[in-house]
Amino acid sequence: MPKPDLLPLTPPVFHILLALADEERHGYGIMQDVARQTNDALQLGPGTLYGCLKRMLAAGLVEESDERPDLELDDERRRYYRMTALGRDTVRAEASRLAGAVSAAKAKLGLAGGK
Amino acid sequence: MEDPGFVRGLCRVYAAMLFAYPRDFRLEYGAEMQQFFHDRCRELVRANSGCSAWFRFGMRNVMDWIVSTVREHRAAPRQTSGARKLIQEWAVTLLLFLFVTTTMVQAYVVPTGSMENNILIGDHMLVEKVGFSNTGNNWTSYVLPNRQVKRGDIIAFRYPQDVRQTFVKRVIGLPGDHIQLQNKQVIRNGQPLEEPYAQHTSTHADDDRDNFPTAAAPAAFANHVQDGEVVVPPDMLFVLGDNRDNSLDSRYWGFVPRDYLVGKPLVIYWSYDGSTKDFETWNIEHLEDVALHFFTKTRWSRTLTAP
Repeated sequence: MPKPDLLPLTPPVFHILLALADEERHGYGIMQDVARQTNDALQLGPGTLYGCLKRMLAAGLVEESDERPDLELDDERRRYYRMTALGRDTVRAEASRLAGAVSAAKAKLGLAGGK
Repeated sequence: MEDPGFVRGLCRVYAAMLFAYPRDFRLEYGAEMQQFFHDRCRELVRANSGCSAWFRFGMRNVMDWIVSTVREHRAAPRQTSGARKLIQEWAVTLLLFLFVTTTMVQAYVVPTGSMENNILIGDHMLVEKVGFSNTGNNWTSYVLPNRQVKRGDIIAFRYPQDVRQTFVKRVIGLPGDHIQLQNKQVIRNGQPLEEPYAQHTSTHADDDRDNFPTAAAPAAFANHVQDGEVVVPPDMLFVLGDNRDNSLDSRYWGFVPRDYLVGKPLVIYWSYDGSTKDFETWNIEHLEDVALHFFTKTRWSRTLTAP
């Protein structure tokens, strides 16, 4: 179960977790995936990204995987991050919380019903 | 692919900016953050980005840097040792104190009665050093306070015979002034001065003290006497103590060079009734005396007055 005091997640933390939902990534890869998820609306800077990662590691939402080069970029070794089970539960809980908020907004504002 | 020179430059700048983060955070993530920054630069180069893209990249990074340094410092655990904490707490105070006491004010205690009854033995005063340190001959005179020496000013200056000592006297003659004393009466440029601040303790008129200059005047005046008057040379001052009959002043040792000026007495912060030897050299009897008689021998009415 996700710890209730972690919710709601801040947008950077939420999107970082989403980025790690399908595969392990290194810091730069996380930033690229977050930019894709949000159509470049959220472009994480290094300070924000690693600040979030530090707190997420401390909270047990993510863990360090190993250091290895990213073959697409170059042969520099990078530290990869992986989502934990707690991280997965937490991002699920946050997604459903957001879904609830969105449906409440739709009901109140009479917005078009999405897909 | 070799990086263009400016990218390497940017990366170096960013590496330096990392020092704004808390030490622990920098050691843990600094290398990765540099790598991240480098990747982003390479991506922009590869996309052949124009000036505006680089500008947006730079602004975004600066914003990120400001926000995240503040956040990390706030989050950083305060595990500083006692001594380090003490230094941190007092650092600003200490810096201010050093700046103020070395360049702005200096505390002096007056051990002699040469300026009685305006400045007494045992007056502890702060001397303001900024105003006179600026002789007004360069650009600083436009931005820093500068005070012209006026006749009648009380000044603190280095004693020309022994620059380790600081004297306090009153300015009587500016460069070009003609000065003489006739039977205790100061005559400046032909006009007898009215000096309510001056004090005379004897009626006897001494040569060279009360009639000045005479043939026995100090050698310092040798080339500066015209028709029985001393003429103050350029960049020099002629000073006298208010306690005219007991003051070791210009009459005895000559002019004060303008460069020897220290400042102007600003305020008496403590005045304690004691003797010359108590304030000239440190002695245990004086300390004991202060401890026992602080409240009765402090001249409270002089506290925080301007000399």
